[in-house]
Amino acid sequence: MQLFKDFINGIWNENPIFKMVIGICSALAVTTAANNGIAMGLALTFVLTCSSILISLLRNVIPAKVRIPCYIIVVATFTTVVDLFMKAYFPSLYEVLGIFIPLIVVNCTVLARAESFASKVGLARATADALGMGLGFTWAITLISMIRELLGAGTLFGYRVMWDGFTPWVSAILPPGAFIVMGILVGLINMINRKTAKDTHSH
Amino acid sequence: MNQYARMIIVLMIISIASGAVLALSYEVTNPTIQEQARQKLEQSVLTVIPGATKMEEVQKEDMMIYIGLDDQGNKKGISFKAIGSGFDGPIEIMVGYNPKEGKLLGIEILSMSETPGLGARIKEEAFTKQFKEKSAEDEFTAKEDVQVISGATISSTAVANAIRTSLDKIVKIYPVGGDF
Repeated sequence: MQLFKDFINGIWNENPIFKMVIGICSALAVTTAANNGIAMGLALTFVLTCSSILISLLRNVIPAKVRIPCYIIVVATFTTVVDLFMKAYFPSLYEVLGIFIPLIVVNCTVLARAESFASKVGLARATADALGMGLGFTWAITLISMIRELLGAGTLFGYRVMWDGFTPWVSAILPPGAFIVMGILVGLINMINRKTAKDTHSH
Repeated sequence: MNQYARMIIVLMIISIASGAVLALSYEVTNPTIQEQARQKLEQSVLTVIPGATKMEEVQKEDMMIYIGLDDQGNKKGISFKAIGSGFDGPIEIMVGYNPKEGKLLGIEILSMSETPGLGARIKEEAFTKQFKEKSAEDEFTAKEDVQVISGATISSTAVANAIRTSLDKIVKIYPVGGDF
C-alpha cells in the first residue's frame, strides 16, 4: 500500500510539472510535438529510476558531505548512457531531443528525488517513487505537447487531424505557446483539486 | 575510519565505476553512431546528385567533396556542404553540382533552427527546387534571381549567400567545363 501511495504521489499529488513545477526548462523546450514529449518523458523516467535505485542502495555508504557530487556523478553517468544509446539506435529522435538529453543531468526532478526521497528510503520505495515521478512527468509533458502540436501544426503524433483549411497557430509551437499552454493546464489542475477537496469536505 | 579518507575513497570508487560504465557504453555504441552518421551523409549526397548510387570522399584544400557515382562508376557530379548563418543559428546545406556544365544539380537543407512555419520553410521543395539547374555564373541575389519565402527573407537570403560563397571556392578547385 505504501508503495502504491509513493507511486501515485508522483503521478498526481506531487506531479513534478503541474504541482511542484520543477524540471520545466526541458519540459517547455521539447514539447513541440507529441512524440518528443513521450520520448523525453521516458528518457527521464529511465534516468530517474536507475539513479534512484543506485542512490537508495548506496545511501548508507555515501558520506553526507559529498552526497551531492556523488548524486551528480550517478545521474550524469546514466544520462550519458541514454544519450549514447539514443544516438546509436534512434537517430531521428536524437536529432530532435539531442540537446535536451544532456540537460537531464541538471533536471531538478532527478536531483530533488535523490536528495529528498531516494537517499532516505529503501530500494522498493525509491523505485516506486521514481517510476511515479517519471511517469507523472511523462504524462504531463505529453499532454502539453499534444495540445501544442494540435494547435501549432494541426497534427497529433504526426498524423493530420484538423480539418482542411485549418490555419495552424504557429505561436503554439514557439516558446510563448509552451508557457501559455502550461499555465492554463496548471490552473485547470488547481481548479480540479480545489473542487475535489471541497467535495470530500462536504461529505 | 577517518571521515576525510572515507569521503575521498567513496567519491573515487563512484567515479571509477562511472568511468567504466561510460567507457563500456561508448565502445558498444560508437560503431553504430559512426555508421549512422555516414549513412545520413551518403543519403543526402545521393539525393542532391540525381542518378548517383555510390559516393566517394575527397579532401580538396579545406573542403570535403563528395563525388557521386552511378552503378557503372561514371561520375555524375560532386557535392559539398555550404554553411550560412540564418535567423536563429547556422543553416547547413548539401549542394549538388556538375562542374562540367557549371550547373547546380539540387540542394538539401541538412540542419537549421529557423522559425517553424516561416524560416523553416526553406526545407520545403517549393523553395529548394529553384536552385536546380542554376548556373555557377549566376548572382544568387535574393529577390532577383533567387525567390525568397515571404516572411522569411533572412533565412532565404542566408541559403543563397551560403551557396554562392561555397560555390566560389569550388569553382576555383574545379573550373567550369573541366573534368572532376
